[in-house]
Amino acid sequence: MKPQDKAGSAADAPLDSIDLEILAQIRDAFAAADPMPPDLPERIRFSLALRDLEVEVARLAATDREPALASRGEEQSRTVTFDSDSLTIMIRIDSNGDGTVRVDGWLAPPQRREIEMKTESSPLSVTTDEQGRFAFAIVPRGTAQLIVRPAEDGPSGASRSVVTPALVL
Amino acid sequence: MDETGPVTVPAQRPDRGAHIASLVSQAKNGSEQALGQLVTELSPLLWQVARAAGLGTDDAEDVLQTVWLRLVSHLDGIHTSGALTAWLVTTTKRESWRVRAAGRKQLPVDEGWLSGLPDQAAGSEEQAIVDDDNRRLWRALGQLSPRCQELLRIIAFVSRPDYQAVADELGIPRGSVGPTRGRCLAKLRVLLADDGSGGGR
Repeated sequence: MKPQDKAGSAADAPLDSIDLEILAQIRDAFAAADPMPPDLPERIRFSLALRDLEVEVARLAATDREPALASRGEEQSRTVTFDSDSLTIMIRIDSNGDGTVRVDGWLAPPQRREIEMKTESSPLSVTTDEQGRFAFAIVPRGTAQLIVRPAEDGPSGASRSVVTPALVL
Repeated sequence: MDETGPVTVPAQRPDRGAHIASLVSQAKNGSEQALGQLVTELSPLLWQVARAAGLGTDDAEDVLQTVWLRLVSHLDGIHTSGALTAWLVTTTKRESWRVRAAGRKQLPVDEGWLSGLPDQAAGSEEQAIVDDDNRRLWRALGQLSPRCQELLRIIAFVSRPDYQAVADELGIPRGSVGPTRGRCLAKLRVLLADDGSGGGR
């Protein structure tokens, strides 16, 4: 079959200007019908601002998203689990009732690590105990990200930092 | 288009590939700003890749973050704009499947994007023509296989210099003189031509 047969629509013909116009039409249609959230690139840039060069990425594994506003105004706690190749990170987020939250976390397997909580203001830092527990008593609401770094006296194999995606507290 | 608009840079900018390659090399040297520009430029494409794979909006946001975080450790092997875009598209597809396989909130296939599209309200005459073209486009897309719908949705957001690299990755055969139309676009073109005066005005 010649390329010009069937309205010049052979599959192995090179892309022509009509194809490009159709592709542009598809792009415009999807960009309008299902646009990327406009603030997403900003959140991604936030999570990429790392001083660590070699990182292990922890993926969001589970979250129990409570209704955004509980009926009585008192917000419920939320737990979020992240998995990476070497670690599971679980955190519980509770409202302090004053525009800040408390974050309690556990690492599995349990180990000593330095935990940084990057926030929209200055970063916070704590060290886990032997059971892998850590807590940030006061964290401002907004975008935040956890970075789990090797601790001075932690396991020797833990050389890489583990980072989570940014989440909104 | 402002800088937050659709990603595809017009073909009249032949320096785009060199520009992206330069951003990649700056990002390797630790430039957060260069990496940020790549995020701005390429995330709208990756959003469509994740959504075309059937993810809900929350999962798609998570997947995009994961993909960009993973890129930081993979930049060393990437030197060209095409290689970057192909890596990002493939990794987004894989991460999307992974999330789907994990059984987190997923859309049943038949509740995907086609049924979720808003009805266009009547507007100006010009708008009505655009709406008419759009309806014809959605109708034609709806007659394609799910795989073709996904593929066209993805390549429509790929800028021309990267087209070949992504087409290779997605299994569209390469022609002797460059990118080919491929089976899916050929089919869509016939459907559009059969439905009224055609989509290639």
